[in-house]
Amino acid sequence: MLNSYFARAFAWLKTAGGITVATAAVLLVAGTIDRGPYILVNTVVTGGMLGLVAMGLAVILGVLNIAQFAHGEYFMIGGLSAYYVIRPLHAYLDAHPSAFLAMVAPFIAMITATLVGGLAGAVTERVCFNPLRKRSRANWVMNSFLLTVGISVVLVNGDQLLFGTDFKGITHYWPGVVSIAGVFMSVDRVMTFILSLVIVTGFWIFMKYSRTGQAIRAVAQDEMGALMVGINLEWIMVLTMSIGCAMAAVAGASLLFMYPSYPTVGLEPLYMAWFVVILVGLGNVMGALIGGFMVSLLKVLTLEYIGAGWEFVVPSVIIILVLIFKPSGVFGSEVRSVLDQ
Amino acid sequence: METGVSKHEMGFFSSVLDRLCLTPLGALLLVLLALLPLIPPFNQQYLLRWLTIVALSAASAIAFDLTAGFINIVNFGYAAILGLGAYTSAILAVRTGLSPWIGIFVGALASGLLGFLTGLLTLRLRGIFAAVMAWFIGLALMGLAIKMVWLTRGPLGLRVPRMFDTSSNEPYYYMMIVMLLVVYVICRWVTRSKMGLAFKAIGQNMEAARTSGVNPTYYRIVNFTLSCTIAGWLGGFYAHYMGILTPDLMHTSKTVEVLAVVYIGGRGSLWGGAFLAFPFLIAMELVRSGFSNLPGLHLVIYGVILILVMIYLPGGIASLYYRFLYKPWGKFWEFMVGYKEND
Repeated sequence: MLNSYFARAFAWLKTAGGITVATAAVLLVAGTIDRGPYILVNTVVTGGMLGLVAMGLAVILGVLNIAQFAHGEYFMIGGLSAYYVIRPLHAYLDAHPSAFLAMVAPFIAMITATLVGGLAGAVTERVCFNPLRKRSRANWVMNSFLLTVGISVVLVNGDQLLFGTDFKGITHYWPGVVSIAGVFMSVDRVMTFILSLVIVTGFWIFMKYSRTGQAIRAVAQDEMGALMVGINLEWIMVLTMSIGCAMAAVAGASLLFMYPSYPTVGLEPLYMAWFVVILVGLGNVMGALIGGFMVSLLKVLTLEYIGAGWEFVVPSVIIILVLIFKPSGVFGSEVRSVLDQ
Repeated sequence: METGVSKHEMGFFSSVLDRLCLTPLGALLLVLLALLPLIPPFNQQYLLRWLTIVALSAASAIAFDLTAGFINIVNFGYAAILGLGAYTSAILAVRTGLSPWIGIFVGALASGLLGFLTGLLTLRLRGIFAAVMAWFIGLALMGLAIKMVWLTRGPLGLRVPRMFDTSSNEPYYYMMIVMLLVVYVICRWVTRSKMGLAFKAIGQNMEAARTSGVNPTYYRIVNFTLSCTIAGWLGGFYAHYMGILTPDLMHTSKTVEVLAVVYIGGRGSLWGGAFLAFPFLIAMELVRSGFSNLPGLHLVIYGVILILVMIYLPGGIASLYYRFLYKPWGKFWEFMVGYKEND
């Protein structure tokens, strides 16, 4: 029994995915020993949220076959909505201190951001992608990709137009620091990590066990078949887009203390999320979570050992290598044939 | 390509136009462009400067369309490749004192080489993968331009010797118009030869093209190399015209600007983007300066138009021309100057 487990584990370690994960783990341990535990902490904290953004991207890719270029903009929308909710709440708290409200206020902001992001995604699907889908499915992947480029331009500049270019950030959601394994870190970071785990678990349960989640997976596998068994395709499309965008938005909201909201804030998360998605294979949703941690580790190590500014160069080089030698990603992907057109 | 009219049936005028791949209307517009610096609102230096930049965008739109419209691969690193040409030429001029007139061709060569490599690297990839690959190559290039401060001075900006010893914009403007024409004619010659047919075949259905004996590898690399060479050449001009270079030039948003012009103008038409660039970019500039209290408004309009065109008018402005104006105009010009369109 045990032997067969070991055999399977070794077999997995010899696959591309296994090698990558093992290398990442070794690097993480080595970096932590060499430079201190904050490497581990930084990786884990940003990795969870990056995984969330990338999972949104992967869901949209897998189900709707849309290569989102505007995904960072939903991250921005999330941060923006959270900012406009948390600011008045913080102002109110300063005037009327209340321990309970101080605990709950950030959640109110994040939930608002999630709803706004989900709504924005649904509206985008109805206003932009649905008409295009009705008009023509020919060359869909490329056309929808270019459509998202237009959406990105509109959202970035609409934000600039309506809210200005200044940095809208907060210093903290929850005040205070905690000490874990000798590292002091803000409560915000710990909460962010916990939150990302909770959301991912919730999402996994939803996809695995609920009827709607199963319907979404059915559409991802075979659109025609899903239509034949009576799945409401249009509703699934709206819902998926909405979920994907809401995931980006909640990440933007909970990382507001690290990424203040301004029009082009979405570029870095977008770039990192694309990096994750290509690394693990397009449309591979659960792989995106692991990928999020690996990419986050890579970013932290690049910043630590090579220096600031190189975090754009090093991942780009790696992704080019991935695309050359393993275009389907380290964990493989089922939707490649669709996207290959 | 076989034509309806053989060469010696055409008059002198028609045959010249045919060599230049222009319709009489196109030639007329070109003459108008050449006269523009004499017409009152445009004889001011700052407007002329703006017109030069617009013409540069028009020319880069043509080269972008050669890849996007024909082999159906969106080169998302286009701006970075243009920037590579600009930096190569600029650094050569600054470090070795090489004349800009030679430098821009060396820059073109460098960009062409990178285009060749990109073409090689994206061989196994299709559609969206190739676009993403080109995007990441572009990001890497921009990152290098920012970080290699000892060479490029990074965001501080590299001062570049200018091409002409004059502060006036006229020489640059005319040079740019000539470059625009050259780029157009090269791309047109290529696309109306058998090679253009092969490009279209690959863009529409690679398997079918391969089955019919078209070698996708060869044509994709040729296409990428040509498009990037032209981009590098234009980049060299940009460097020696602006006199200062920052890595901003290589930003993805610059690619998006060119992409929007190409797709609104009409993919696969070559002239669509170039034609549209002039009225469209000038109108956008008017919106930008007219509503300076609303920054970003012009780009919102830009994006909305791009979205609308992508959904409702996939062929862009060029398709409107072919649908409504092509036949009546053809008759009109045939009557007026005896010109008969060839392709």
